[in-house]
Amino acid sequence: MIDPTQEVAQFLYREARFLDTRDWMAWLALFTEDAVFRVPAWKSEHDITTDPTRELSLIYCASRTRISERVQRALSGRSVASIPLPRTQHAVSNVMVTHTDASATVQANFTVHLFDLKKKDTRVFFGHSTYQLLRVADDWRIRDKTAVLANDYLPTLLDFYCV
Amino acid sequence: MSDRFAAGMLRAEIERLVDDRPEAGVFQVHRDAFISEAVFALEMQRIFEGTWIFLGLAPQIPETHDYFTTTVGRQPVVVMRDAEGTLGAFYNACRHRRAAVCPLERGNARVHVCKYHGWSYDSAGRNVGIKGVQHGAYAEGFVREDHGLMPLARFANYRGFLFGSANPDVPSIEEHLGDMRAFLDLVAEQSPNGFVCVPGNVGYEYRGNWKLQIENGVDAYHFSSTHPSYIGILNKRRAQGESGGSVYAGFSDAELFRATMTFPHGHNALYGSNPASEARALNAAMPALRQRLGEARAQWLMYTRNVTIYPNLQIAENASLQVRMLQPLAPDRTAMKTWCLAPHGEAPEALQLRIRQYEEFFNPSGLATPDDTVNYEDCQTGYRAGFDFQQGYLRGMGVRNPQRSAAVQALGIHPIAGTEGTFDLGDETVMHSPWREWKRLLLVGAK
Repeated sequence: MIDPTQEVAQFLYREARFLDTRDWMAWLALFTEDAVFRVPAWKSEHDITTDPTRELSLIYCASRTRISERVQRALSGRSVASIPLPRTQHAVSNVMVTHTDASATVQANFTVHLFDLKKKDTRVFFGHSTYQLLRVADDWRIRDKTAVLANDYLPTLLDFYCV
Repeated sequence: MSDRFAAGMLRAEIERLVDDRPEAGVFQVHRDAFISEAVFALEMQRIFEGTWIFLGLAPQIPETHDYFTTTVGRQPVVVMRDAEGTLGAFYNACRHRRAAVCPLERGNARVHVCKYHGWSYDSAGRNVGIKGVQHGAYAEGFVREDHGLMPLARFANYRGFLFGSANPDVPSIEEHLGDMRAFLDLVAEQSPNGFVCVPGNVGYEYRGNWKLQIENGVDAYHFSSTHPSYIGILNKRRAQGESGGSVYAGFSDAELFRATMTFPHGHNALYGSNPASEARALNAAMPALRQRLGEARAQWLMYTRNVTIYPNLQIAENASLQVRMLQPLAPDRTAMKTWCLAPHGEAPEALQLRIRQYEEFFNPSGLATPDDTVNYEDCQTGYRAGFDFQQGYLRGMGVRNPQRSAAVQALGIHPIAGTEGTFDLGDETVMHSPWREWKRLLLVGAK
């Protein structure tokens, strides 16, 4: 019997790996079609926005199609902000799985080191994510990824590969 | 960093940075204006601490005793709403040793106690306590002196847009804003109850000069070449049968009219038609707006409008309604603070459409703005290249005696100059007015 926390953690590591290797088609395939991907904005020092219908998010994609648009843009060769694409390295830790059967709610911390090749400069993005996962055969799919970015004073830009 | 003992620059040195000879078809700006530490020090002193500066928005602090902190140039400032609801702007520095009195970006407090020696102030800036004053063996006369927070030299509220000046010797806010009041009115009157700030902070910093943002904010020329990846996404959505969702759906620059206007004090505006007005959040409210404001003003609300209120406020209404505040940090570093505005009481579906378009177009984490800011950064690198002048202010120079359009007359404004054409014109003469004001302000007090 596989430890469910271990299994989910392995899934998150895989997601991180796909992001860092720019295997972004494989990354997209981890999401359900109706997946939500959100990076909420902060309202004050310690409160985040919680209602995307009335409040601002830094990133809000309400379907896999919307998420895929970001991937297309980054790979299009027609976005100066994406040329050259940075090197990133995700570290995922403190994985907590609150229940598992057909679905799972997962909390995890992230630290993303990003090397900006044009500026020869390293940036760090850190925070915590909450995932809603769905069981699909012997694997999982992401129904919701909400990444709360702790350092939200953005260095020029933020994109999906930064969280 | 400058101080008032710094030698500064000579008049002739400032003069030659902006070569402004329209009659000869010449307008050029020297690269030193973007990279020089000495120029930056003068900008802080004579522009950001020398003229009216945008501080923030009244709806950020709706309740009594609310406050927000910001900077005027390099100077720390707090804007507070007192017990009676009156707004005031003060230096966020204790009168005793200048420690910050208000610690948060935004907060609420009846009394502010300095954490260093415990002097306290109410929300009207009055001193309400000096710790141990009776034991302090102060010289006679001390108690009769004023110990309140030092008010900023000038402060004004124009329909929720808050301005301040560290320099007392500036014209009235009405004179400074001039016709730009009409553009603020167009924001304020979208609801009978004014506007709100959609909750959610967005702040970022780019590695480029602040004037790159000033220029880009009214630059129609860059859109199709800077944002093809965004336009491509919108075209794909349309091809897949997704209608609306963005005012830029079906973007075709030859079909859109774009007009520019310049005003005294460095202000300017770019306006024109939208490719897909039905995707505007305001669209559903238009019948009511037409009735309340009349056809001409309603038409202005439907125009895309990019406005600069010099030197640190830009308002853009196209995909959504954005307010941007610039805070220069160094010749090659600029902090940006941005707000998504909505008419008070907007219908939920419209508000949601507004927020989604805002996020994808205006956010530094969106599909368009990063391509602007990274271009600024690439330009900043290019300003190191050792040729004096670039050729970026010449489109539209050949336009002579522009007609004052019916729309401009209907708004009751009197621009100094302007152009009208398609998106393809990409007028750059609109950027001349900020540069002229830049030079005028830098020359104040120059030897």
